[in-house]
Amino acid sequence: MNRYSSVEMMAIAGSRLITDGEAVLVGTGLPLVSTLLAKHTHTPNAVVLMESGLYDSNPESLPFCVADPRGVYQTPWIGSAIEIMGQFLQNKMVDIGFLGGAQVDRFGNLNSTCIGDYAKPTKRFEGSGGACDIAIMALKTIIIMTHEVKRFVEHVDYLTSPGWMVHQYPDGKLVSREEAGLWGGPYAVVSTLGVMKFHPKTHVMYVESYFADMGVTPEEISQNTGFLINVSQAKPLEPPTEEELNVLRRVVDPEGIFMKY
Amino acid sequence: MRRNTKILSLKEAVSLINDGDQIFTGGWTVVRRPMGLVYEMVRQRKKNLYLCANPGGPEVDLLIGAGCVYLTEINYIGHEVFGHPYNFRRALENVDEPQYFHDDWTVQTGALRILAGSMGLPFLPTRSLKGSDIALPALDPLKDKRSSDPKLPNRKIEVIKDPFWEGDEIVLVPALRPDVCLIHAQEVGESGTVRIQGGTFLDYHAALASKLVIVSAERIVPESELRQSPEFNAIPGLAVDVIVELPHGAHPTALYGHYDNDPWWFKDYLAASKQEDLFQSWLDEWVFGPKTHEEYLTKLGSKRLEKLRSDPNKGYNPDIRRRLDKLEEVVKQ
Repeated sequence: MNRYSSVEMMAIAGSRLITDGEAVLVGTGLPLVSTLLAKHTHTPNAVVLMESGLYDSNPESLPFCVADPRGVYQTPWIGSAIEIMGQFLQNKMVDIGFLGGAQVDRFGNLNSTCIGDYAKPTKRFEGSGGACDIAIMALKTIIIMTHEVKRFVEHVDYLTSPGWMVHQYPDGKLVSREEAGLWGGPYAVVSTLGVMKFHPKTHVMYVESYFADMGVTPEEISQNTGFLINVSQAKPLEPPTEEELNVLRRVVDPEGIFMKY
Repeated sequence: MRRNTKILSLKEAVSLINDGDQIFTGGWTVVRRPMGLVYEMVRQRKKNLYLCANPGGPEVDLLIGAGCVYLTEINYIGHEVFGHPYNFRRALENVDEPQYFHDDWTVQTGALRILAGSMGLPFLPTRSLKGSDIALPALDPLKDKRSSDPKLPNRKIEVIKDPFWEGDEIVLVPALRPDVCLIHAQEVGESGTVRIQGGTFLDYHAALASKLVIVSAERIVPESELRQSPEFNAIPGLAVDVIVELPHGAHPTALYGHYDNDPWWFKDYLAASKQEDLFQSWLDEWVFGPKTHEEYLTKLGSKRLEKLRSDPNKGYNPDIRRRLDKLEEVVKQ
């Protein structure tokens, strides 16, 4: 038995992708857990932003959502979605957008809207929130989600948040992100099995590292991915340090709200 | 525009809302929602409402489940990590002849739409939406209604070339101009000055964008008290039409400095909202059963309300547990 779970490893792998001092715009859940873990370990100067208007949040207790009073506690300034999303984000002040989603394709396009036909979905989700805005305007985005065939799909059922190949307005034709006039783009996908990045020229997802310490193999990643994925460059990822696990369990999410201990 | 703020009872205030009105609900997902006003809307059986929260939380899911809603233009409807919005889902999933319609937006574009409304502008430009299915005309769920429904802009978005600088393609999003804005705040002055602690979200802009603004508050206070520190006040009285004193008026959502989310409420609500018949029973028990807000608070009981109370220095309750599968442990403590 492992001394930690794949969700913990995922949160830890996500936190390692943040550099000190970066402005990180986070969604609720795992993005928030990863970012707070980074802030309590190697990036004390990262600036945590939330779409509801929270700025430089450094909560004592894990916020339950991006508007939680826990995220407001002792912040130096507070704005609204007009400032954070309409000004900071649109004016290129956000280094990293950190997002979850229900489906992702090989180009990092994300779906957080529905399964099936949009007009008559078989499953409906809560919707974009700020994810679409963040995927379009952050200088880079990190995606974090469970690794399953039904989630890593050939085509997303609805393209909520644009990745590297996007739907052109108004005809929906598949065009490159650059052609659509967008900057930024997906930087990494962190899953319960490993960390994926995107080829610098083709922008196709490949496996950069896998959770070898947990017994994950590159083949297992292929088997759990609904499209052909290159694993030839995959390297084992360093297991969690004692510090990472301790901070995650004792400081960031002691209740197990997201880590589900 | 003349200031003419009235203090009304909850019943009187909500009776000013008409069937078919477009309504903006203040707050954010599970924080500072005007729940007391929303419960009363259900009691008064409002119909065919258009909702435009940015984003939506339990107040939207509840109104959908109670059959009050015709259409929503909202970027997110949900209860955050508590669980899924089952009434919203049921109204859209596998439905052959929908009676309810939902248009997806984003946090930024929804904010710009309400900002445009607050400025008296017909639209504002944005760099968002390009590349997303949210922008595509073929996937616009309201496309057949736009030409005939005066409450809807005649198209979802427009794209123009920036006429001033580099000539980039820029998206225009239409203003939101709600009939009614519902806000719950910590305090409101007798002439309508609104004091909000914690996040103000889009409430100031929504108040300026809306025709009728109803503010409920934990307490109504003398204006002289609020004039001591105007920098803490969020909305000027000129924009506020009706005020209602409503302690615990945001329950079960969190109110910074006063009370936290009520996890027991969410546990009950989520279990009930999974099925239509169970949800109707839940409405009978919790919304129609208590005839007034006071009766609702009595039903909740002072013990439960006491458990939710926030630490005044932190703004939240540091002892409350938020994992619904482990609430039993807390009850025993």
